[in-house]
Amino acid sequence: MKHTVKKTLIASVASALVMGGTVAVAAGMDVPIIKATPVLEGLDKPWDMTVRADGTMFFTEKCKGLSMRSPNGQVTNIYGMKGSSGYSSSGADLFCEGQAGMMGVAPDRNFDQNRRLYVASTSDKYHGSGCKSNFERCDGNIVMRLTLSEDLKSVTDRTDIVTDIQYKPFESNQPFGGPGAHNGGRLRVGPGGYLWITGGDRHRGVCPQSPKLLCGKVLRVDTDGNAHPDNNPPAGFDKRIYTYGHRNVQGIDFRPSDGKAFTAEHGPWHSDEITALVNGGNAGWDPQEMTAGRGACPDKYCGYEPEQMDGMDPAVRASYMPMSDTRFDDLMPPTWNNNGWSQGTSSAAFLKGENWGIYEGRLATGVLGIGFGGTPIGQRIDMVGITSDGMAINAITRMPVGFSKRFRGLVMAPDNSLYVAVDEGEIYRITATSQQ
Amino acid sequence: MLNLVGLITLGAALALPQVAMAGDAAAGDQRYHQSCHACHGPAGKGVSSYPKISGNPIEYTREKLKAYRAGQKIGPNSGLMIMMAKPLSDEEIENLSAYLKDAKYEK
Repeated sequence: MKHTVKKTLIASVASALVMGGTVAVAAGMDVPIIKATPVLEGLDKPWDMTVRADGTMFFTEKCKGLSMRSPNGQVTNIYGMKGSSGYSSSGADLFCEGQAGMMGVAPDRNFDQNRRLYVASTSDKYHGSGCKSNFERCDGNIVMRLTLSEDLKSVTDRTDIVTDIQYKPFESNQPFGGPGAHNGGRLRVGPGGYLWITGGDRHRGVCPQSPKLLCGKVLRVDTDGNAHPDNNPPAGFDKRIYTYGHRNVQGIDFRPSDGKAFTAEHGPWHSDEITALVNGGNAGWDPQEMTAGRGACPDKYCGYEPEQMDGMDPAVRASYMPMSDTRFDDLMPPTWNNNGWSQGTSSAAFLKGENWGIYEGRLATGVLGIGFGGTPIGQRIDMVGITSDGMAINAITRMPVGFSKRFRGLVMAPDNSLYVAVDEGEIYRITATSQQ
Repeated sequence: MLNLVGLITLGAALALPQVAMAGDAAAGDQRYHQSCHACHGPAGKGVSSYPKISGNPIEYTREKLKAYRAGQKIGPNSGLMIMMAKPLSDEEIENLSAYLKDAKYEK
């Protein structure tokens, strides 16, 4: 009797090994079938998009402007920039340079009634007489509230609700040192309909920890650009600031279970980070020279030091110039630091819907790929399982999309598919189909 | 007769260096995909803030890569290119230059 049972057991296990995935499904693991299909191709640096329930997609191209793809596939160029042609209208003050240009786009929570889109862009409208060097304030990034016409093909009103985010106008002695560097630029509408705006340190050492400068911050404002009443930055800080001490945030989304904000951020030759945001918290990035044991740095910015133009063990570099300096009492420690690598983590979106099977609720992050100084290039979308307290990860799986590109923008669509923009010039729609 | 053979041999010897140094575009394609594509995009078309590097004469690309390899600063992102060009051999530079001259992104 025992012998027969044992034989049957061995046979079952053997067939289970052969069946592989099928057995996993039978055992309760819903691994979805994931498929990517191109939606638009031949675009010029697509950066961000938002999708409506009927499949209408608004998207930005960093040096060209805002466009719309209708459900029937027709593309309308709605609002252009300096030098754009073929747009219903344009903002001649909007321009692109290096990493900067027209970037994030997000719809008002009541878009179906008010047709309002929020768009982040670099602009020369509020420069005044302009700054003479990178060591001055140098405003140059704005957030616009655009109201679209009834047919959604043109802009009937543009109101600039944030006009004083800093920009980097001159080249500096840094890797990626051209103008426009570390320009942040992602926009998302979060709980309660408030607008979240992510920033970068624009290669200026004093930015992230500065109380009044908006570079290196995540802002939370209402749709007129005023501070959320519950923002709680340290005393003396601009009240629009939700968190400070950031390097270059280009990913933000809100956990479906509780609305908690999580950011995805580029690291300095080490440690891309996912961070659970705390109201008034410090992300811990402080690239000032003569600080925290460091001496003088090129152009007063220690961000890539030491030996900023050479490869180095990321862990050694991180001890000199940490991405999250533990000397800060109000530090928000990273949930995930990409095994200590910086590979260009640019976007983040929580996966929503049962169709995502075991990946439902994970944070999808898009990685551009870098490949300097011995770092593996790493272009991919990761699906990251975050613990309930938000402080660590409990799973990470590479999304099997079938190709490696510079994954720049991720956003969930109402039909629970994931839209992805790649720098190479395409936007894809990624579907997940549950096998149960 | 001997002089003629000598002349032909000399001619061949003179011609050989150029033949030996002509780049292999297929090998350049392979080398390009090891690292260059991550920033400059498929077929050198340029992506994000990284410039287009395809469609240039072989001499142009060869000269740029050799200058970066020698540590020469040309523009604001020279530091990055100096890092990337340092390990390149002469043969790799020839192959990359040949590949990039005609590389086209077909999507």
